[in-house]
Amino acid sequence: MALIERPAPDTLTPAVATPESTYGAFRRPVHSTGWKSWLFTIDHKKLGIMYGASALFFFLVGGLEALLIRAQLAGPDGTILSADKYNQMFTMHATTMVFLFVMPMAAAFANYFVPLQIGARDVAFPRINAFGFWCFIFGAIFINTSWILGGAADGGWFMYAPNSSVPFSPTNGIDFWGLGLQITGIASLTGAINLIVTVINMRAPGMTLMKMPIFTWMILVVQFLLLFAIPVITVALFLLMFQRSFDATFFSVEAGADPLLWQHLFWIFGHPEVYILILPSFGIVSEVLPVFSKKPLFGYPLVVFSGVAIGFVGWGVWAHHMFASGLGPISVAVFSVTTMAIAIPTGVKIVNWTMTLWGGKLRFTVAMMFAIGLIVQFTIGGLSGVTHAVAPSDTQQTDTYYIVAHFHYVLFGGAILGIFSGLYYWWPKMFGKVLDENWGKWNFWLMIIGMNLTFGPMHVIGLQGQPRRMYVWTEARAGSGFFDLGFWNLVSSIGSFILGVGVLLFFINVFLSHRRHGPAPLDPWDARSLEWLTTNPPKEHNFDRTPVVGHLDEFFHRKYEDRGVDGHHEFHQVATAEELMAEEEANADSHIHLPSPSYWPILLAFGLPVMAYGVIYNILLIPAGAAIVLMSMFGWSLEPHTASDADYDPPTPEGGAELEVATNG
Amino acid sequence: MTETRSTARRIGLTVAALGAAIVLSSCATDAPQDTWQPEGQYAQEIHDLQWWVFAIAGAVGVIVFAVVIFVVFKFRDRGQPIPEQSHGNALIECSFIALPAVLLAVIAIPTVGLVIDLNDTDDADCVINVTGQQWWWEYDYPIDANGDICGFTPSVEAAPIVTSGQMVIPTQAKVVIRGTSRDVIHSFWVPKLNGKRDMVPGRVHTWNFQATQPGIFAGQCAEFCGLSHANMRMEIVALDDADFQAWIDNQLEPYESPEEGTLAAAGEATFAAQCARCHQIDGLTDTEGELIIAQPENFVWSGAAPNLTNLMTRNTFAGATWDLLTPACRDDVWEADPDEFGAKYLEGVTADCLNEVELKEWLRDAPAMKPMYADPELLEATDDKTRGMPNLNLSEDQINELVAYLLERK
Repeated sequence: MALIERPAPDTLTPAVATPESTYGAFRRPVHSTGWKSWLFTIDHKKLGIMYGASALFFFLVGGLEALLIRAQLAGPDGTILSADKYNQMFTMHATTMVFLFVMPMAAAFANYFVPLQIGARDVAFPRINAFGFWCFIFGAIFINTSWILGGAADGGWFMYAPNSSVPFSPTNGIDFWGLGLQITGIASLTGAINLIVTVINMRAPGMTLMKMPIFTWMILVVQFLLLFAIPVITVALFLLMFQRSFDATFFSVEAGADPLLWQHLFWIFGHPEVYILILPSFGIVSEVLPVFSKKPLFGYPLVVFSGVAIGFVGWGVWAHHMFASGLGPISVAVFSVTTMAIAIPTGVKIVNWTMTLWGGKLRFTVAMMFAIGLIVQFTIGGLSGVTHAVAPSDTQQTDTYYIVAHFHYVLFGGAILGIFSGLYYWWPKMFGKVLDENWGKWNFWLMIIGMNLTFGPMHVIGLQGQPRRMYVWTEARAGSGFFDLGFWNLVSSIGSFILGVGVLLFFINVFLSHRRHGPAPLDPWDARSLEWLTTNPPKEHNFDRTPVVGHLDEFFHRKYEDRGVDGHHEFHQVATAEELMAEEEANADSHIHLPSPSYWPILLAFGLPVMAYGVIYNILLIPAGAAIVLMSMFGWSLEPHTASDADYDPPTPEGGAELEVATNG
Repeated sequence: MTETRSTARRIGLTVAALGAAIVLSSCATDAPQDTWQPEGQYAQEIHDLQWWVFAIAGAVGVIVFAVVIFVVFKFRDRGQPIPEQSHGNALIECSFIALPAVLLAVIAIPTVGLVIDLNDTDDADCVINVTGQQWWWEYDYPIDANGDICGFTPSVEAAPIVTSGQMVIPTQAKVVIRGTSRDVIHSFWVPKLNGKRDMVPGRVHTWNFQATQPGIFAGQCAEFCGLSHANMRMEIVALDDADFQAWIDNQLEPYESPEEGTLAAAGEATFAAQCARCHQIDGLTDTEGELIIAQPENFVWSGAAPNLTNLMTRNTFAGATWDLLTPACRDDVWEADPDEFGAKYLEGVTADCLNEVELKEWLRDAPAMKPMYADPELLEATDDKTRGMPNLNLSEDQINELVAYLLERK
């Protein structure tokens, strides 16, 4: 498992003897190019790109579902979707956006950049990393096959019992949903353990926790949230599976069950989940704002601690999703107050970001614009959040469009704007091309205008009393005048299509930039953190030599020197990124060991949907899938971490583990 | 409000910040479920609290935006030297922890107080049992220890009143509902009178209502409850004491069969044959003179169907989603002055005002109008029981008879 071997005497013998070959007739995959190099890769960067690409694909799927919803609601008594299809559509829109877009997109950034930011050559468990990715992708495909197998889940992403039981939802949609999320949950759990171990154990020498880049910090907090939240939803989904497939009575009221059990389980997972979605983006903008302000993050320790505080307090607010569900006044009062309390660390972040900008030297690149967009849009979502922390007020607002407005300002205005900021900021690092700034500005402004037109009116619609999740609304309850629900529903629908165009511009921008632009400069943004101390895109082994860290913004401090005296500061550039890079290459480590690709992660992950189809269609498929899983585990455990010479074609005399230093690209 | 002032206000609003727009949404007219137009004590208490919260939130928002805009213009890169690499400022950081903490404490104290007040269901003037099921609400008015119903003494012999769609309450009284559900979770919400409260199967939740003036207040099921969630509505009708007394007395009038030989009499037979297995009409008898007791538990998954004894005293049907009144008559009732409202409501549905078109459409094929789970081919998961009303394949003659019969149910 261990990845990094620092320069070592040639006489060092391996501590653990590993078998030479385990495949018999099959050779171990060793490809470094071609589709097989992606399918069997265990490189965190390739996995990060695959996470990102599939997440963006599901972003388009979820967006299409959203546009169908808005088309249906553009006018009264919409007929584009039937009630049944509409219910499937909003269930899958949320499921797709939360589980198949924002979470894997955060995983993409985390996978790609955490090792780079801490000066490591990969994550701690590269094969488990690959396994996690394939669990995600197979789970995602599995859930979406329900569309052509009798209809998707129709109980809402919160899937409240007992409406999720078979008599109320007789199609297999909810089975697909529950089992599929169970599989993607494995991806999150394994990823969480992997990244926690990576961050704790594999930081470059000198990088103490308080010198760690803020993005890595936020990802670390998120991994702990995942580690504790995913098991809760796992339990809930198992109860649901037994309820639906094996006649259990966990949620059968007639057998004495209390339907509120599901709500507590779901929201004990579901509220930390909100922070799982938002904190990675907080991390991204906390990287982007200092770079384009040419200042360190204001109050770095406080931003770290507020992130950790959000992580802790996030566990004590789940019942604010249940203010109307009849918990009793004491519980409601307590959760009302804790919910207000969590606004404090969140507010700290807004203040610190603004103070980072204050007195800076601001460059409005597209990445910066998205980051500032996040500050403004997320603030709106945060403030509307305070209005329903006030529980009596929330009893008027919950389950109306006002809540829909709130969490879209938080998740679109927060998580997604942060993700786009990260995409523009890190694109040159990942692909060696700078995305076009002009197209990017169109992309930004259309998204901002689109999102405000889409979600802004929902505040009005909700306060005017339109509940969520209704497949039609009616003229009879629309009112008239300025607050006419009909007018604002139409505005919202038009806005959603503008937003759709804005998102499409991103993909057009990617296409055009890759066709037209030359290679990106080594340090296009004058960045501050370690991931820029390598080529664009990084070499397979990330760093030619393991960096030694002395500062929070190590890369910045290698480039600039403070020549001020007596408390007066004056920064002068002492080195360019190219010079730093040349120095790294000249002093490359002599031994860089990377593990070889493997068949087992994808094969092991493939066994899981086979078992899941078995739960739904034929119980005999379960042992078949389990056999695949067990066989893969067996093969995996016997596999040496590097391929033997015999696996190469032609066999390499020096062994595959020794990497040639790849050239740029 | 004069026309010019309202125009000016609209122009102002289009440029106003979002927070301001939200605050001003209390000026909206004619929005039946507006959460900012309280018409009763509990909604008023919520409104009195949330108004300030919105104002504070709006003010904070405006300050944040102003600072961000200022920073963006003031500190843009104009070739200034690399700024000082300052890592923070303890005073600023601490004050921005303390400030929101104080602000939130100011909000938290009245919040906790109101949460406790809103949940105080002691000293009820009137108790009504409310039950949700897919996709309509049932209200039953129990007889209390004094033989009263909802705090009123009926002038005829008291019997429990069972109704649906519209919950009728006395004005000014503290009405406590005891709510539950027969299938999935529903949420009872009439925004002008109070916030929402979920009705959960297996649990009884209480919730308060009080209406300041007579009138009709719209509501909608607010917890997603399956296929026809959008078509599950409710209304609370508040009547002053005299009118409420009249309403109770009317509900308890004994059943009267239609006159022999009329269309309605034929409708009675059709009803007994086609509808009465699920829908109760109190006092309806079969050909042998035996009372017919509906047995919806054998046909409907939730085990209940609306009681139609006095259908035409209410003016909606099918989960309060369609009107029994024609649009003109409906507006006449809905927009009546508080002092005339009671009389107009108590008139019920007259032949002139009956919305025959939609009622007949409903009888012709209910699931086509309101999505329900009633296809006989697809009832495996529910032991052949429907969720909602199936298509009964009635003939046009039967439909005409039924409409004539139902029109007399008041």
